[in-house]
Amino acid sequence: MQKRNKNMRSQLFKVGFFFLTIGILVFISTPLVKLRDEVFEEMRLAIFQLNINKNNKNNTTINNVNTENLEVTAENNEEAKKNDKKANYSYIGELSIPKIKLRRGFVSKESKYNNIQYNVAIANEADYPDVDRGNFILMAHSGNAYISFFDKLYKLEIGDEASVSYNANTYNYRLTNIYNQAKIGTVSIYRNQSKKALTLITCTNNDDYNQTIYIFEEI
Amino acid sequence: MDLSIIEQLITFVTIPFQSFLTIEIFLIFIIFLIFLIYNEKRNNKKVKISLSALIIFFFSLLVFYFSEDISFVLSEIVKTVIRCFYFPNIIFYIFTAVISLVLLIYTILKKNLTKLNKIITYIFSIIHLYLFTNFISLAIINNISLVDTANIYKHNNMFVIVLFSQIIFILLIIYKVIYHFCYIRYEKLKNTK
Repeated sequence: MQKRNKNMRSQLFKVGFFFLTIGILVFISTPLVKLRDEVFEEMRLAIFQLNINKNNKNNTTINNVNTENLEVTAENNEEAKKNDKKANYSYIGELSIPKIKLRRGFVSKESKYNNIQYNVAIANEADYPDVDRGNFILMAHSGNAYISFFDKLYKLEIGDEASVSYNANTYNYRLTNIYNQAKIGTVSIYRNQSKKALTLITCTNNDDYNQTIYIFEEI
Repeated sequence: MDLSIIEQLITFVTIPFQSFLTIEIFLIFIIFLIFLIYNEKRNNKKVKISLSALIIFFFSLLVFYFSEDISFVLSEIVKTVIRCFYFPNIIFYIFTAVISLVLLIYTILKKNLTKLNKIITYIFSIIHLYLFTNFISLAIINNISLVDTANIYKHNNMFVIVLFSQIIFILLIIYKVIYHFCYIRYEKLKNTK
């Protein structure tokens, strides 16, 4: 009888241990996948930097920047995960914001991966960073999703710095303005036209109806 | 960094007295130590339990105060492990190959191993070493510098070879660990009988 009880306890212990292991695996799988993606992103950026090293050797408004699909849903998050596994692309530049430890590459405007489902996307209306007095506009999702590359942007304050590496040059910017606009599919960008600018657009933190525009000016 | 040995020693000795907090921490640890040593003589079970609880409480407090930094450090540790798996640098990769080689030679020479164990070790080690050799030969053929990690992994062939060889290596290690534990347990059981 005692032996049977002991066996029973041992079996119960094994089953409990099995379910505990499964539970832990399920619990840690999402953060692990996120960390894995970060490691892959780092490697993509390192490859981008390597390619760069090899190759080296006034108020105005730009209206109607299309910001449709800036909304992230569970379905497009899943779709992006699937797409990212198939995606094979190389970056043409890198956005870096040290304060929020953001380092993210971007592809050319013509690339099919210039899409917020894959990357930080360049707006069609944007100029590249090497254009004199141009405005380089980047958009990405925010929130908790896998593709929320601008999830910590809300922590930025006026005066924070950002830099963009493009065509073997680094452009340094300082945050000068932050404002919100309603999500209506387009945003108006107000910036000093006499200076080169970097504009970041993402959904407002904890707000389903607005999007936030961050205006940086070249230092 | 550029301190002499004497300066290093002086700094080390003066560290606990640099601020009130450091003095406090120093005293807490000294008290822990005195209690532990004193209790070794008296062997009081209550003191043992309460000291363990106090130590756990103290470190929980640290975790609570520095939770953000600790979670950052933990995620960095996990990222390092993931990096070692997907994109190991050449030193780490050579290190795994050396372990595989040592395991293979040990298995060949060791007499009292089971046949199944030997065959499984041979299969995993040989595949791993074959992939490693392939990796080196591909690097030579394509003239790829192995010093820069990014330079290695921008080639899809290299990435795939390393990924599969890492999987094989991990399977080998897991098998060896499980076998070792089972073997020890079996030996213990045999001895007790």
